[in-house]
Amino acid sequence: MLTEFGRVFIFLILGVVFVAGGLVFSWLIRPNRPYPSKLTTYECGEEPIGDTRVRFNIRFYVVALIFLIFDVEVVFLFPWATVFKGLGWFAFFEMMVFLVILFVGYAYVWRKGDLDWDRPTPKVPKYERGIGVREDHLMEEEVAL
Amino acid sequence: MPEQLLGDITKFLPEITLTVMFLVAICADLMFRKSPQIVAGITLTGLILSGAFVLNQSGMNESIFGNMIAVDPFAVFFKVIILMSAIFVIVFSLSSVELQTASRRLGEYYSLLGGLALGMMLMAGASNLLMMYLAIELSSVSSYILAGFTKEAPDSSEASLKYVIYGGLSSGLMLYGISIIYGLTGSLDIYEINHVLAQGSVSGSALAIAGILTLVGFGYKISAVPFHFWTPDVYEGSPITITAFLSVASKAGGFAVMIRFFKGVFIDPSATHLPEGMWASLSGFEWYHVVAAISVVTMTLGNLVALWQDNMKRLLAYSSIAHAGYMLMGVVVLSNEGLAAILVYFMVYLFMNLGAFYIVMVIANKTGSEDVEDYKGIGKRAPFLGVALTVFLISLTGLPPTAGFIGKLYLFAALLNSGWIWLAIVGALNSVISLYYYAKVLRNMYLRSEASEKKTEMIDIPRVQVATVLVLLVPVIALGLYFTPLVEMAQASVKMFGSP
Amino acid sequence: MAHELIPYALFLPLLGFLINGMFGRRLKSEALIGGIGSATVGIGFLIAGWTFVEMLSLAPEERTFIVPVIDWITAGNLSVNISYQADQLSILMMLIVTGVGFLIHIYSIGYMHGDPGIGRFFAYLNLFIFAMLNLILADNFLLMFLGWEGVGLCSYLLIGFWYDRKFEKGTTGDAAKKAFIVNRIGDFGFLIAMFLIFMTFGSLSFQAVFAQASAFPAGSVVITWITIALFLGATGKSAQIPLFVWLPDAMAGPTPVSALIHAATMVTAGIYMIARCSVLFALAPTTMMIVAVVGAATAFFAATIGLVQNDIKKVLAYSTVSQLGYMFLALGVGAFTAGLFHLMTHAFFKALLFLGSGSVIHAMHEEQDIQNMGGLRKYMPITSFTFIIGTIAISGIPPLSGFFSKDEILWKTFSGGHIGLWIIGAVAAVLTAFYMTRLTILTFHGEKRWGEGKHPHESPKTMTYPLIVLAILSVIGGAVGWPAALGGNNALEHWLEPILERANNEMHLIAPGHDPMEYALMAFSVGIAVAGMFLGYTMYLKKKEMPAKLATSWPRLYRTLLNKWYVDQIYEASVVSPIQVGSEKVLWKGVDVGVIDWTVNAIARLFGFISKYARMAQTGVPETYVFVFIVGVVTIIGFLALK
Repeated sequence: MLTEFGRVFIFLILGVVFVAGGLVFSWLIRPNRPYPSKLTTYECGEEPIGDTRVRFNIRFYVVALIFLIFDVEVVFLFPWATVFKGLGWFAFFEMMVFLVILFVGYAYVWRKGDLDWDRPTPKVPKYERGIGVREDHLMEEEVAL
Repeated sequence: MPEQLLGDITKFLPEITLTVMFLVAICADLMFRKSPQIVAGITLTGLILSGAFVLNQSGMNESIFGNMIAVDPFAVFFKVIILMSAIFVIVFSLSSVELQTASRRLGEYYSLLGGLALGMMLMAGASNLLMMYLAIELSSVSSYILAGFTKEAPDSSEASLKYVIYGGLSSGLMLYGISIIYGLTGSLDIYEINHVLAQGSVSGSALAIAGILTLVGFGYKISAVPFHFWTPDVYEGSPITITAFLSVASKAGGFAVMIRFFKGVFIDPSATHLPEGMWASLSGFEWYHVVAAISVVTMTLGNLVALWQDNMKRLLAYSSIAHAGYMLMGVVVLSNEGLAAILVYFMVYLFMNLGAFYIVMVIANKTGSEDVEDYKGIGKRAPFLGVALTVFLISLTGLPPTAGFIGKLYLFAALLNSGWIWLAIVGALNSVISLYYYAKVLRNMYLRSEASEKKTEMIDIPRVQVATVLVLLVPVIALGLYFTPLVEMAQASVKMFGSP
Repeated sequence: MAHELIPYALFLPLLGFLINGMFGRRLKSEALIGGIGSATVGIGFLIAGWTFVEMLSLAPEERTFIVPVIDWITAGNLSVNISYQADQLSILMMLIVTGVGFLIHIYSIGYMHGDPGIGRFFAYLNLFIFAMLNLILADNFLLMFLGWEGVGLCSYLLIGFWYDRKFEKGTTGDAAKKAFIVNRIGDFGFLIAMFLIFMTFGSLSFQAVFAQASAFPAGSVVITWITIALFLGATGKSAQIPLFVWLPDAMAGPTPVSALIHAATMVTAGIYMIARCSVLFALAPTTMMIVAVVGAATAFFAATIGLVQNDIKKVLAYSTVSQLGYMFLALGVGAFTAGLFHLMTHAFFKALLFLGSGSVIHAMHEEQDIQNMGGLRKYMPITSFTFIIGTIAISGIPPLSGFFSKDEILWKTFSGGHIGLWIIGAVAAVLTAFYMTRLTILTFHGEKRWGEGKHPHESPKTMTYPLIVLAILSVIGGAVGWPAALGGNNALEHWLEPILERANNEMHLIAPGHDPMEYALMAFSVGIAVAGMFLGYTMYLKKKEMPAKLATSWPRLYRTLLNKWYVDQIYEASVVSPIQVGSEKVLWKGVDVGVIDWTVNAIARLFGFISKYARMAQTGVPETYVFVFIVGVVTIIGFLALK
């Protein structure tokens, strides 16, 4: 007798077998005739420049995180909407409280500058008397999160 | 239904207070960016108010929000510990020089401290596996940010990142364990799980694996070996106030949730007791052997490694690992006596550990160093701090007439009464080892004099800080001499788990 | 009601200690410091007095109050509360301690005038009162022990109060240490007794223990050992043979301290303790015999030493030891009331004598040698007059207080059939009268033997008033124990009867009746006191060459007495040196360095070694951490799987 989880387990095994089987099978039957341009990374027909492993700007992660959080929070609206009629004003105020909290979070993120895209400040050399470049006053500028 | 919820909300007031406080605090942070003291004030008010609501809950024994959260004396005891340490830590933070390097973001710091306290309080009450997980995550996420708060210091960022990685790993394993338990029993409510287990149809080995995986999550939170690796690095890298908070409140939350989990899930509800007054466990899952082993390894490793530390914060970090080991001994016993001993120990530990950390902070404020070497001559340069630190360290060692002795006394008594004699001996030996590194600090303070002439001037400390030290110092001595009320309170707090 | 205020009588001196101890150096005004110190004790006396009045209004069997303060320790079978027991016995002690204590506090304001440490001094004095009240008001052995240790600590602190001054061969610090260490031996006895009591009776509370004691037959072994251990404690605190050596050295402290702690109150703690445990002692005839013999021997022995001392405070110190011996003699023969009676009168006249000597020392600018005094009567009339009253009282001339208490002790000893002990006591009484007369005459009479540059003067009023009050008490204090044989009603005996009843019944003492022998002995007592005084008068005022002649006729005896029977030297040779040599050669160099240190170091090195490698696991590399983490989980699961 299979439990629910037993079925999932079988499904899991089948999934692995399906993918691995496809790869192994194609590896077995495909012809193997490599030459240099065939081995290059495909980049929309352009000449590849540099490595594929690039360091992404950390901003991507911040924005992704913020998006994820708000996205997931908003998902709560759906179950609420389905039972809203049955619960009435209580549910309405409860959701308003929830949304206010969400809004405060949004305002906080905004005000803290986490939605601003951090452009690298151009380093403008500033000459003063004598020879040499002083940039330390630039470092003191506020660096947003 | 809404009436039920509204009724439950009134029993949820401490947490609601903290939530509102958090929102107000971050709004205030946005408005008054120049003066983080305002946020500190709001947080402090919120914590105190919440504490008042918690005290109002004493004697209550109920389950709210559909068994999501329990409001019982056990939870109240831990909430008191958590709130007290949060209040102390905010007071500490106000005089920290280290934090001033990031003064622009201090508002965020205080509001997050409140959030962290909220997470821990939920840990103390959670009685549903999902709630437990969420509470642990809430406190963890706040801790990650606070650990890396002084991000100008490279140590701090490193600590934070390691903490995240480690936290992620252990939450993952814990969630896995929880999902297996759900799969086996079809419920996340610990009482229902217990009910299903009591029918005896669940496979013991699968349950054991699930239990162990869940234990990983708790072990990480209380930094038990081998899930402790984050502790020294994070404790060293974090601002010292956060280190102090994590070492007390975070452990308190971890212990609360762990004890409730084990007691709630695995203990035979028909209240059959083993001859020694221990609770009988269900499904043949004799996990107290596991906890005993973890406890021994934890305290031994914590103490042994502490022997060689030359940084005070790191020394106290390892010492706090060792203390988690001692307290785990109480979980091993798992009689009401053992649990009461843990509660007593925690209350004592709160004062002595926070006290030690605070003095390290005050000295670092003045000398800029946390090295044990730089404590040479402190006994003469700052007589009051020297004496106070001596008391705290003696108490941490567990020598009379300090409160630390009482904490250990009750733990060992619980062990001996339930027949864990070898464990008690290991614990006592460990206390002896710990004496060495605590005494090393004392030796530096009093018996070694600073070689260079410059460092002999007296260290003056403001009166407020003297008063703060006194507030921590007095209970350490007073509870060492007059401990009956505390013990009775602890015993009352575990009663609802059933007799003996 | 009044007895409910008793905790405040303890709390106030503690508060005084905290105030003077913490802010003493900042309080500029001596009057304020002294005022706080004295007032706290004075209020304590008022509370004691009020409680006493309350007791008077009650029937004798209702006069015991238990005033609980807090539940202190509850652990398993052991339950110890901080609660105070006020009954006829402890209220008597409380009146003495707070009353005499208050007078001495007042006196100290004058005596310590100008001393930079006056705040510290009053702090210690207040702490002493707090500890002493704990000792006498405790309702259980543990709390009593706490007070017992507390007074020991205060005694130590106050003996060494002038810690930078020279005293004899060392400093006052050495004297303080001697007192503390000798007392530790006695405390050890007390501790053993407490363990035995808890083992035997399962409780430390006086009422529970004494209630159960009746179940034991007289002479039972365990009770005997308990009482012997308790008596060892008493010999330490009350300076009896063999532990009396600390008390003469304790005179290194300021004179009010000598008066308060080392004459009137603390040293009587042993007597109080035995009276409190009279039920136990009555069940142990062997111990009672030991107590009586030790008491009589000490009374005689210390009196002989007192004959030849030249330091005014030393004479009084040996006199104190001797008088304490009398009290133990009384206890030992079962005359508990007589012992307590003498305790009370002694507190009056010995405090008076000590304060008088302090007044003299104050006037003579720290001169303590009576060979350099003389003729002070004209310069300090009040001191001189009160001192003489003290002398008459201690010598036992009626109707001053000393006569009644001392006579009662001697009579009870005689009537109890202890003729040998009685003879020793009587001889000691002659000696007492003699050396006290000698002391008075050499100090106040004859020609002045002090050099120029000293200008003795009468002390300020803060010092003389306490002297006068104590002198009055010394005169009339005997009234409370006016014996039935002289038409009195012996009020003290009736007062204490409910407490001592059971012990008295156990001892089967003969009921007091009109015995012609009693009158004969009374007359005899007076006779020997007068004889002793006359002898002193003759030798030191009329035939001044006699003392020197006697000293040369019996040089060996004289030197033996002058050197206090060489007890210090004997202890040095028989106890201290062997311990020193043994501990240095055997215990230190052999056992400690060779065995213990080696083992400890080896273990330490082992742990150090393990620890060195254990901490390498903390690499700082997250990958390692995660690896160990996973290995840990797998190990635990494997451990469960294999089980």
